[in-house]
Amino acid sequence: MSRPGKTAAQSVQFIAPDSYPQMLSKPRAARALHTLRTPETAAKAQAVLEAAMPAMRAAILQYVQEMERAQGDAAKLFEAAHEIRGFAETAGMITTGRIAEVLCRYMDDLTRFGRPLDATIVTLHVSAIARAARAEDDSVRTGQAVAAELAALVAKRLAEGEQ
Amino acid sequence: MSGPGFENLKALIVEDNAHMRSLLRALLNSVGIKDIVEASNGQTAIEALRERKSDLVLSDLAMRPMDGLEFTRYVRNNDQSPNPFVPIIMISGHTEKHRVEAARDAGVTEFLAKPITAHNLFARIAEIVERPRAFVRCNGYFGPDRRRHINDDYAGPWRRKDDYQNAEVR
Repeated sequence: MSRPGKTAAQSVQFIAPDSYPQMLSKPRAARALHTLRTPETAAKAQAVLEAAMPAMRAAILQYVQEMERAQGDAAKLFEAAHEIRGFAETAGMITTGRIAEVLCRYMDDLTRFGRPLDATIVTLHVSAIARAARAEDDSVRTGQAVAAELAALVAKRLAEGEQ
Repeated sequence: MSGPGFENLKALIVEDNAHMRSLLRALLNSVGIKDIVEASNGQTAIEALRERKSDLVLSDLAMRPMDGLEFTRYVRNNDQSPNPFVPIIMISGHTEKHRVEAARDAGVTEFLAKPITAHNLFARIAEIVERPRAFVRCNGYFGPDRRRHINDDYAGPWRRKDDYQNAEVR
């Protein structure tokens, strides 16, 4: 491969994997890879996730309450929304997680660029997250439609801000 | 080929959310990793590392008082670090590009975006086992090689010795 346009070399030390201690010895590594890929392991892991779901759902509803109480305190509100986006989907609350993800991205982007948050957008998201989380069935069409509409609204407002 | 292969592995989970810690522990248990220590932030994780050797670290990003980035930088660069080469999987809901790049530049081995699934977690662990990364030490960085793919269109700058060995001189 041709690599033109060089300048003076800087000091870079390259340490190959064989030169430092590995997580597992080679025979163990082969067995470990096999274990990670067996259907039995996948089934065990699925059972673990399913067993954890009720506790995770209860925790998400707690974070929803914290988020609702935190309106007006952007840092606290973000913290609660961030926890919700972190594991709502793992708990099977797909719509809740996706709306929280949109809200977090919106807040993160605006805060990073020093732009003010639009209170209406934040309130709409908080309300939508709460409604989605409290609805047992997260796959209801209205929840998905609300998520799509909010995402479109945020994209529009962000685009307006860039102009 | 039989047996889990992970029976002697020691893992450290660094996560401020108790539900997530418990879930990660259970997922690691399901592949046979039983020797697990938990910490709720980077500072307590450093103490845990000092007290007991760990072969694998799963760390959250946003924690207080010490976050996952600062913790990773400590592990990789501090003279007191018990194992600067330990694989670190950073697990975070902060999936914005700038945060992923910050994690990479701190020296994480793998990045796993929340929401986590067993499949994704196991895929990251398999990647560490199957394709261990070379480490790079240069001005301002020590950690796994950040160049994961060879890009034939890359135009430089060229900074490594082997770049120069393969270079065409004009």
